Amino acid sequence: MNHWSQALRAVDWTGWLGAAFVVLMLGSAVFAPFIAPFDPIEVRLEDRLAAPDAVHWLGTDQAGRDVFSRVIYGARASLTVGIGAVVIGALIGVSAGLFAAYKGGLGDQLVMRIIDGIAAIPLLVWAIAIVGILGVGPVQIGPVALPNEAKIVLLVGVLFSPVFGRVTYAVAQRVVRADFVKARLLQGARHRDIVLGDILPNCLSPIIVQATLLVAIGIVIEASVSFVGLGVQPPSPSWGTMLSDARSAIYSGEWWLPVFPGLAISLTVVGFNLLGDAVRDLFDPRSEARTLVA
Amino acid sequence: MFRLVAGRMLSSIGTLLFVGLALFLLTRSGPGSPARIVLGADATQQQIAQFEESHGLDRPVLVQYGSWLADVVLRGDFGKSFVTGRDVAVEISASLPVTLSIVLLAFLIALVFGLAIGIAAALNPGGVFDRLARLGAVVGLSIPAFWLGIILIRFIAVDLRLLPPGGYAPLSAGLMVHVQTILMPAVSLAVYYIAVLARMTQASLQEALRGDYVRTARAMGLPSWKVVAYALVNALPPVINLAALSFGYMFGWALIIEQVFNVPGLSRALLNAISQRDFLLLQGIVFLFTVIFVLANLIADLVNRTLDPRQRSTA
Repeated sequence: MNHWSQALRAVDWTGWLGAAFVVLMLGSAVFAPFIAPFDPIEVRLEDRLAAPDAVHWLGTDQAGRDVFSRVIYGARASLTVGIGAVVIGALIGVSAGLFAAYKGGLGDQLVMRIIDGIAAIPLLVWAIAIVGILGVGPVQIGPVALPNEAKIVLLVGVLFSPVFGRVTYAVAQRVVRADFVKARLLQGARHRDIVLGDILPNCLSPIIVQATLLVAIGIVIEASVSFVGLGVQPPSPSWGTMLSDARSAIYSGEWWLPVFPGLAISLTVVGFNLLGDAVRDLFDPRSEARTLVA
Repeated sequence: MFRLVAGRMLSSIGTLLFVGLALFLLTRSGPGSPARIVLGADATQQQIAQFEESHGLDRPVLVQYGSWLADVVLRGDFGKSFVTGRDVAVEISASLPVTLSIVLLAFLIALVFGLAIGIAAALNPGGVFDRLARLGAVVGLSIPAFWLGIILIRFIAVDLRLLPPGGYAPLSAGLMVHVQTILMPAVSLAVYYIAVLARMTQASLQEALRGDYVRTARAMGLPSWKVVAYALVNALPPVINLAALSFGYMFGWALIIEQVFNVPGLSRALLNAISQRDFLLLQGIVFLFTVIFVLANLIADLVNRTLDPRQRSTA
């Protein structure tokens, strides 16, 4: 416990700021119905394009919907896609990385080459093409109808997986050769126990760092795809579609329409980026600046 | 070295083959036949069958893929657009220059400012530039390019009337007019990559300046600028690697940016091809993007392995 409190004291204010933004946005997403003062979907034409005031804190849009309520609800779509894609990417990538590092030989080569191949697929173009071809309708899996975002979560998740595959592989490959793993084998431990119990825990810190930074990228991707009309479908609130609607306000001057949804994206992304940097400094203070780019 | 290059090339070719196949399976499985869209709602069954036969759409998907692949590899022929009947290559060459000039200008801006800011920050640790660069990196990494585009249109084009709010003028219309139309899209696209490259340059150069050879060179009385130049050469490989990757990623974001500025580039061509079920054009565009991205990745990888001796042994 003392060890942790000491480590946490080393986190500087930017890390705490990042954590605060992340908590704020997660809180908005989870408790949206309790925070939002208005219905985010109901059209009230008599209230349209009202400037920010005491009733509508961030003004209203062309359909008279409260911008503040829509921004709060919009956190749901952003975080669902961002976190969902990272979870899927981590599941695929980490299993692949562990498998390749532990098996070695031909299986290793094959898996890592497939990871190279997936890493060479341009994400946004494919997201646009796939959703464009399949249509923006819901995804029917048995009795469950998932919204259009499910396609994006799955695709972005698969295309995130090489990041996880590579960091897991890099650490796992070193750990596999360590003496304690040989000792565990000699003790007669099962392979599954060694991989999940001994190797995986050693890979966790870089995985968590990458996951935090990737959520930020996932959020921007969701907003971008929704912005071109292929993500979250109206009237459901999403920061990307709100910005798309705001384009008509560029000329007429309702500045609150383009400003607040964009700020929401930026604050969330800043939050995850600062948190990711802080987590990295905490786990591995000597590591270089991140090279994650999208 | 040769084995490495060959291995990575094989991996890239594998990716392209798989991507091509995925495109075929995907377009053919989606709802809506191109015949219905091209011929209109009141086309007869017979007309539709005829259209599908003449475009080879009645054949099994794998056969279609095989003949498409053979045409592409052997003759560089991507087929004809279902809608206009013109060669896909001709259709693409009409909108590619638009996207290309935006991306190239953005890349240039990102490279110049990213390197300059990164170097200035690394040379003054703890100084004003260092602080500004750190703050700028956080801000730059967090502003979505398309939002920045909207804000720029509002302030630069609508309020200040300095630049046109959208549209596109080709280079043939004059260099100034051309640059005026692509400047805001390029800047919106570049800001994220300025932050990425500045951050990498700063970290890498700071690390290089801590090297023993730098101390030796300083002790031997080498002029300061020479020492920095030596350190910079050693600091560059990861920056070049990142720049190559960034170039590939920029094309993807350019699709979104082109929508903001209403530019007739590949983005519009792609969305039109999707809505008109113009499969061959769609395939051509997505394939082109993938080739660019694969090449950018390949170059990034090779730069890493050849310029950085520490990475060579792990090949």
